[in-house]
Amino acid sequence: MAVFYFEKEAVLKGYQKYFLNKVLWFIVTLVAAFILNFILPRLMPGDPVAAIVSRMAQGMSNSSGVQAIYEQYTELFGTNKPMIEQFFIYMRNVVHGDFGFSIAQYPRTVSDVIRSSIMWTIGLQFPAIIVGWLIGNTLGALAAYLKGGFDKVLMPVSIFLSNLPAFGMAVILLVIFSVTLKWFPTSGGYGFDLIPNMSWKFVWSVIVHYQLPFWSIVLITIGGQAIGMRSMSIYELNADYVKYSRFMGIKDRKIVSYVFRNAMLPQITGLALSIGTMVGGALVAEIIFSYPGLGSTILTAVLGGDYPLISATTLIITVMVLAANFLIEIIYGFLDPRIKSAQAD
Amino acid sequence: MKKTLLSVFALLMVLSLVLSACGGAEAPVAEEPAAEAPAVVEEAPVEEAPVVEEAAAEEPADPNSLPRNETLYFNGQQWGSVVGWNPYSSNNNNALAIAQQDSARVPMFETPYLYNMLDGQVYPLLADGPYEWNDARTEITFKINPAAHWNDGTPVTAEDVAYTWASHVKYNTPTGSGNVDYIDDIVAADDMTVVIKAKLGEDGAALNPLIVAAYVSTNYVIQKAWTEALEARVGDDATAFMADAAEDVVYSGPYGKYFADDSKVVYIRDDNYWGQDVSMWGKLPAPKYLAHTIFKDNAAGTTALQAGEVDVSQQFNSNVQDFWLKEGLPISTYLPEAPYGIGASLPTAFYNLESPGLDQPAVRKAIAMAVDYPTIIANAMTNQSATFDQVPRSLMNPTPGEQALYDHAAVADLQFAGNDVEGAKALLDEAGIVDTDGDGWREYNGENLSYVATCPNGWSDWQASIEVVAAAGAEIGIDITTNYPEWSVYQTVVTKSDAPLPEGYDIFMMWSDGAGPTQPWSRIRKLMSSEFNGMASNWNGNWGQYENADADVLIKAIPTETDEAKLNEMYTELVSIYLTDVPSFTLMYRPQSFHTVNESVWTNFPYEGDGTNPPVPPLDLTDGWSIAGLYNLTLVNP
Repeated sequence: MAVFYFEKEAVLKGYQKYFLNKVLWFIVTLVAAFILNFILPRLMPGDPVAAIVSRMAQGMSNSSGVQAIYEQYTELFGTNKPMIEQFFIYMRNVVHGDFGFSIAQYPRTVSDVIRSSIMWTIGLQFPAIIVGWLIGNTLGALAAYLKGGFDKVLMPVSIFLSNLPAFGMAVILLVIFSVTLKWFPTSGGYGFDLIPNMSWKFVWSVIVHYQLPFWSIVLITIGGQAIGMRSMSIYELNADYVKYSRFMGIKDRKIVSYVFRNAMLPQITGLALSIGTMVGGALVAEIIFSYPGLGSTILTAVLGGDYPLISATTLIITVMVLAANFLIEIIYGFLDPRIKSAQAD
Repeated sequence: MKKTLLSVFALLMVLSLVLSACGGAEAPVAEEPAAEAPAVVEEAPVEEAPVVEEAAAEEPADPNSLPRNETLYFNGQQWGSVVGWNPYSSNNNNALAIAQQDSARVPMFETPYLYNMLDGQVYPLLADGPYEWNDARTEITFKINPAAHWNDGTPVTAEDVAYTWASHVKYNTPTGSGNVDYIDDIVAADDMTVVIKAKLGEDGAALNPLIVAAYVSTNYVIQKAWTEALEARVGDDATAFMADAAEDVVYSGPYGKYFADDSKVVYIRDDNYWGQDVSMWGKLPAPKYLAHTIFKDNAAGTTALQAGEVDVSQQFNSNVQDFWLKEGLPISTYLPEAPYGIGASLPTAFYNLESPGLDQPAVRKAIAMAVDYPTIIANAMTNQSATFDQVPRSLMNPTPGEQALYDHAAVADLQFAGNDVEGAKALLDEAGIVDTDGDGWREYNGENLSYVATCPNGWSDWQASIEVVAAAGAEIGIDITTNYPEWSVYQTVVTKSDAPLPEGYDIFMMWSDGAGPTQPWSRIRKLMSSEFNGMASNWNGNWGQYENADADVLIKAIPTETDEAKLNEMYTELVSIYLTDVPSFTLMYRPQSFHTVNESVWTNFPYEGDGTNPPVPPLDLTDGWSIAGLYNLTLVNP
């Protein structure tokens, strides 16, 4: 009895240590990432405020006027202050949830820019990642299990799909289904002649516009996932426990469920990372289909040196990746008996 | 077993499809209407409501869709989500509504006069009749059209014009700081009479009558009452004054805000627009909506134009003639043949005049003479520019008005049309700049002539041009390599005129002014005047930091000169200096705006010889006098 109690306590302690360890690393990484998110964009060469002034200076006819405007804006964005001072101001504002003004889209605020496009990005990326992952893994597992003709067809197709560059897939879909067959629209998130509203016409338009960007991501995801899952499953199918189970006369269905669960573990890590980085946007799909979203917003921000917007978006991505990783590790702690036992030792 | 797995698989597929459909639908529904719907509601009641009712009476129109027969679609102007509606903030990217420029954009806000780049004249808009200088040319007086009123129904008055100016000055807006050196004050002599007082020099004459006169066609009149409301809202804070999104702005033009999100911006016609008065247009503009889809790149915009989802295209469509010649689409340009449009601005390669060797006019001119301009025009512009054989090089754009301003014969010997490799070589030999060590490259002061030619990365037409410039160097024994920094870096370097240009910027491209009421003077000033040297942030011009005292004197004198013969002489002298010193050289002629139209839905767009009088310029039916084109449009299938 006493021994059992001791063991239970040891396991709990092990978990505590495991969690604390993970939390500590989570915080350290977050702080480091926060600092880098601030500093790195500002180390890029170029002066984003000059871009605003260039827009305003068109048509201005005197020379001192341009200079005055330039100074006004460096003051406004604080780019005339030392970087350390800028950092503390930034930190104070971020704590209050204020990411400031976007330089390139001034006077829009960073929060406003992100708010207006993030739902499009998540709406496109999240289902695409999940669907691609589900189909890919199912196909991979089937290929490993069924072998034969199914595997012989699936493998080369998967390899082809996973190696096709994203823009290539998007352009192929665009040319075949939009330009040639005219089944789907060429660009936009909804009909060019519509105003967003809750009508069936609008929702249908969104669904139709959604298809090509969506499948351009899904098809590529399927390929990669299927290959990974197939290899993992083949490995697991040949594992001793499978042979032993068969020997024991355990039903096929039961065995397959064992195999699937074990082969799944690394795939879940991949899924978590994909979901963590999805806010970065589907840049290629967004550009080729002129689909609204954060990807192209981030690209323009980087090209234009829009520090506040870059810092905010990279911060969101960092936090999401860290959170996804953290969650996965915590869940693993419960799920994977190997980790459980390692912590107990 | 197999069966079970297959059914699981089938189930997963169905689930994924359902997920995909749901995901797509939920995104915009959750976000967009929430953010934008109130704006529409806010905007509509004031005076759009009757319009909606009217439409409803005629046909059961869907308020959530834009009837194709009532909407004119644009591309190439709006490249990001609209950030606001504030006409005081000219960094505002609301491209179809706000552009105070040579040909001011007037669908929403209006200027007293409209500039017509085709005949160089201004025509009254908010003003009544032509403006008048006093005898001393120190004051301009004009009347406001008594018919003019704001969209809230109140009349436009001289006090609005005066208060707009006072606000520009008080809050140091770009318009204020750009004009305050030349305009002393703008006052209302009475309710309907505006007087613009020029800043005077020591001699009692206006410092720059050209800029004073240009004010009336390049700057909007903004309502005093709304400006006061804005001031009250922002508490006189200049930054907040210009940053305000101004969703409640009052305007006098025919269109106002209807809808804006990350995908598009739509303007709706104000059916009470004052301009339907017989003293102005006598009717309303034809389209009820102006809409601009926000495309992510040129390719997407071009695809939409081909699909008939865009009516007026203000973007560079390469090989534009293929649309009608090869694809048989109902697409056309202002001119049926190359150059398809009217060249107005002069994209120019500047020399860093302090690079070793480039301080020698012979080297500068030799490079410029050897460049293969026909190739630039064919490749970079797909022939959408006149050649230098058609319009010989000067400081003028190809419009007849500017071409008449200088003596062509007097500078004919100095002009060059390109590809003159032998002439360039002879010029260098004559100057003693030869290849003495036999390595194939000429030397100056014992060092090989070796330069970097540059322009921003991704500006493909400019990059193609710079490659041709580099190739010309090799032909005449000058080593020119290319390099393409990002625009964010490039702009910082070339606009820093208070220090010598760094390495890597020996030959670099920038733009020049187009057509406008102060042209060609303003363009020449920005190409040649030394007044910009020493500026830490120089967005005006003369980026190679050229200095010529004779040119400076002429540039200073032209705005006050009224004698046409004298002006012709002065411009000819400037062209002569420019073509002798070659501080920079023009690579092509570029239209003020690209203007390609698809006539699947609307027709009767402006084209050369369309019989309009005054002629409607090809400026997308939005800029300056080109807005007259909106009143001429008719439907292909009414």
